[in-house]
Amino acid sequence: MKRTIPFLIILAVLGAALGSAWYLTRTIPASPVTPIAPTSSTAQGSPVAQQKPPAVQGVPGAEPAHTLGPANAPVRIEEFGDFECPPCGIFHPILEQMREEFGDKLQITFREFPLVPTHQHALAAASAAEAAGLQGKFWEMHDLLYEHQNDWKKEFDVRPIYEGYAKQIGLDIDRYKRDMNGDLVAQRIFADGKRGHSLGVKGTPTVFMNGREVPFENLPAEKLRVVIQNEMRSSGK
Amino acid sequence: MKKLYAVAALLSLLGLADALYLTIEHITGQSVRCTIISGCSAVLSSPYAVVAGVPLAMVGAAAYFAVFSLAILAIFGYPKVSGLFSVLVIIMFLVSLWLIYLQAFVIREFCQYCLLSALITTALLVVVLINRRSRR
Repeated sequence: MKRTIPFLIILAVLGAALGSAWYLTRTIPASPVTPIAPTSSTAQGSPVAQQKPPAVQGVPGAEPAHTLGPANAPVRIEEFGDFECPPCGIFHPILEQMREEFGDKLQITFREFPLVPTHQHALAAASAAEAAGLQGKFWEMHDLLYEHQNDWKKEFDVRPIYEGYAKQIGLDIDRYKRDMNGDLVAQRIFADGKRGHSLGVKGTPTVFMNGREVPFENLPAEKLRVVIQNEMRSSGK
Repeated sequence: MKKLYAVAALLSLLGLADALYLTIEHITGQSVRCTIISGCSAVLSSPYAVVAGVPLAMVGAAAYFAVFSLAILAIFGYPKVSGLFSVLVIIMFLVSLWLIYLQAFVIREFCQYCLLSALITTALLVVVLINRRSRR
């Protein structure tokens, strides 16, 4: 009997470890925002039918915001992003894929949220994107910054690299260089940051869908797709 | 002797909990959002956090579990486990040194739970050293 006691202890610890690991990693339901389908007795769109937290407003960000897709799209996604943040870089192609899949049903807004003490080049990257935006090429620069994140994040001086991107997308380089350090770009980044803080954004990427935050664990493509579908269903379009 | 192994068993349980926490963080990616206070997210999302497709934290959890098992067997008088126990702890200590080096000079971010693990492994090494000395 005595010889089996240590094995029982070891098995108990193994069981506890595996059990707690299983409990804590079990798949989170794809959407905590799953709406309760309106029943026939309640009128469509009645407040009772939507058991969702109220949409948050926050202070306005930079105007005009950088958006893709129609303003009257049933699902409006607002991303607070940092070009140097690896998970934002991972999220970029996911959002692209969603745009392909949902087309006009989706509107995307990008807000600058450079995490300055954490990421040394985040502010420069945000400035580059905003400077490109002043010449109508925000999204082109946005895509290049995210797609080449690993090419520039470890560099000491990123400005020549960004200038290369600016040339690549056909910007007026002199104006781009002036705008990079100009007030307008700084004000836009500040305004987006202020909006982020007013919405309680703590990190990146933080994504809001029709004014409600999408939990970070729901951002992988297969979960985000379900969240978007649910949102479309609940907005009745 | 038995008391020392009991201390080692408790330490390895603490290490197991710590490594499990890091494994779960790694798998669910909860902390892998970028925040103003960086740390574990930078370390866990770095390429050094995975070895041959397995999260390093999971390897750590397995190692602590092995240390715990060996300590329990030693307490109940199983022979020949003390050598294995010492070798395992020494390997874990060397790996911890390497991981601290990576955090300090390569990733340039410290992860407090990774440091806690290194501290526990160091304590285990102290147990091994006292054990060796008292046997002589």
